Amino acid sequence: MQLLAYIGRRLLFVAPQLVGILLVSFLLLKLIPGDPAVMMLGPFATDDGLARLRQELGLDRTILEQFLIYLGNVVQGDLGTSWQTTLPVTTDLAQRFPATLELVTLALLLALAIGVPLGIAGARYKRGVLRTTADYYGLFAGALPDFWFGLVLIFVFYTLLQVVPPPLGRLDYAILPPATVTGSLLIDSALAGNWQALRNAAGHLILPVATLGLINAGPILKMTQSTMERMLESDFSRYAEMCGLPDRVVARKALRNALPSIVTIVSVLYGFLIGGAVLVEIVFSWGGAGQYAVGGVLNADLNPVLGFVLYSAILSLVIYLLVDLIYFAIDPRTR
Amino acid sequence: MAQRTSATRIAEPEPPAAAGGSGRLAFFLALLRARPSYALGYIIVGVVVLLAVLAPWVAPFDPVRASPADFLKPPGWPYLMGTDATGMDIFSRVIHAPRIDLAIALAGTLISAVVGSALGAAAGYYQTQRGVGAFASGFVMRAADVLQAFPVFVFAIAVVAVLGQSLQSIVIAVAFVNTPIYLRLMRSQVLAIRRMRYVEAAYIAGVSDLQILTRHVVTNAMAPILAQLSVNIGWAILLTAALSFIGAGVEAPTPEWGSMIAMGYQSIITGHWWPSIFPGLALALTVFGFALIGSSVEVLADPARRRALAGELEARRRLRLQARAAGAGA
Repeated sequence: MQLLAYIGRRLLFVAPQLVGILLVSFLLLKLIPGDPAVMMLGPFATDDGLARLRQELGLDRTILEQFLIYLGNVVQGDLGTSWQTTLPVTTDLAQRFPATLELVTLALLLALAIGVPLGIAGARYKRGVLRTTADYYGLFAGALPDFWFGLVLIFVFYTLLQVVPPPLGRLDYAILPPATVTGSLLIDSALAGNWQALRNAAGHLILPVATLGLINAGPILKMTQSTMERMLESDFSRYAEMCGLPDRVVARKALRNALPSIVTIVSVLYGFLIGGAVLVEIVFSWGGAGQYAVGGVLNADLNPVLGFVLYSAILSLVIYLLVDLIYFAIDPRTR
Repeated sequence: MAQRTSATRIAEPEPPAAAGGSGRLAFFLALLRARPSYALGYIIVGVVVLLAVLAPWVAPFDPVRASPADFLKPPGWPYLMGTDATGMDIFSRVIHAPRIDLAIALAGTLISAVVGSALGAAAGYYQTQRGVGAFASGFVMRAADVLQAFPVFVFAIAVVAVLGQSLQSIVIAVAFVNTPIYLRLMRSQVLAIRRMRYVEAAYIAGVSDLQILTRHVVTNAMAPILAQLSVNIGWAILLTAALSFIGAGVEAPTPEWGSMIAMGYQSIITGHWWPSIFPGLALALTVFGFALIGSSVEVLADPARRRALAGELEARRRLRLQARAAGAGA
């Protein structure tokens, strides 16, 4: 019951937060020089045509009026149209957001699989190969530019070794994509029993997932290592050691107490990567949401950017809510 | 006149101060010996800075002169790192690039540190007071919330798009993105420090708000800011390169690592790896160097960790002396 009240209270703040974020992005984007009407109609547009289009788009009204109109449409589920793709933004994002989510989710799972064990090992051993690897990995992974690392992987595994498909999107052109259910190609093709598409999609995922996963294992490793170190030095671990419990048991108890920080760093990375994966998306022609938004900013195409900001803000809020619920589950002190 | 007196005062022999100075240097050198990774960081950054300064004299070719006849030459002689698709010498461009990348990163990070710390100090100091101060500090914090709710990269691109593509715009974008970090850091420091007795004492002694803030609070809150600074310069370099990579930052042919990687991006699939790989390596190494320095500053700026480290270094020194004595005895 207490939990439900808590969720209710949190949701109460969501709407004003979203409006604030939309307002700021709207104002910021409106400052970008470039007239969408001119861009849409091209260089041979007549003044008359331009004026008519501006009126149609509401560009002749004040900024505040434009924002209120936009907000009204958003409430009705209409995020406007992108003039670049000429499709409604909701349609575009329904296609692109799952692409980004699939990439980011798998990458973070890989990052967890590398970062957590290495971080634990780095915290348990004061010296040795594992400790040195952990120390340097954490620092070096943070220094790698992801877009460049992706190129290096492409060069090695596609150009030289030819073991992965070309870095051009999520599926080969010759492969028939499965019917969209969840938007994740892996899940959809498994559901449709389309094994060819499943294999192909998995092949396309390998390099971008490796790029983001290997790099983002760095922060997860650092957080795991430093928290684990603190937990292993704290009184309860010392006491467990003195009682003669085996090292493995002591480490497991310490890990249990280090979990909240690991969950936190993962949630922060998740929120960051939704927009931050854009460079890797560009390198692999992924057609993801970040790429869509960047294209919008560079071409004075407002609606895609606003739609993207809105979607990722909602997603971050959902993630933070989930994280708080996970805290409830794993840390009895928060109850 | 005042300057001369102070100069003579420093020149005068002052045994305790002089010992302290050399002691600090000795401590630093001992630290570098005990932690080779820190030394590596200072060496990398030192070399990069040196190259950036000396680039015009060290570079064998003009970094922006294209010789179309020599396009995509593999690394060798006279093109140490090969040439790109337009025939520009990659080595000359790689060592010229830090002039732009470091300058943008330094300027952007310093602006964000100064602005963010000032706002954060004020927000923390006035938060518990009533009236305009509390309202303003609440407003600043909510503004930071909204700013941080944005996807960092999209926001940076939007800032550059609004201001028009130029070096100043990139600096401002970098500064904008990083300001909330310092704002939060300084605010949390100030909130902790302003409860200290010496701050209360200064308040009772009638010292003005501004003086309390600048003399007593901010000076004691600087350590984590400094540690953040060198890590942040690394990030800022990455952000600058990333902006240039997608064409919203430094424009070609100006030598800059990110835009060089972008220029070589198309040729990598055909097996011409050098136009992208070398600038990326330089970029990664530089950021790595700043990260190493950052972790050394983190230890040095934290009094407790510094004391622990000093103890460890002292123990090592004793061990070495003992070993030497034992060796001489035998």
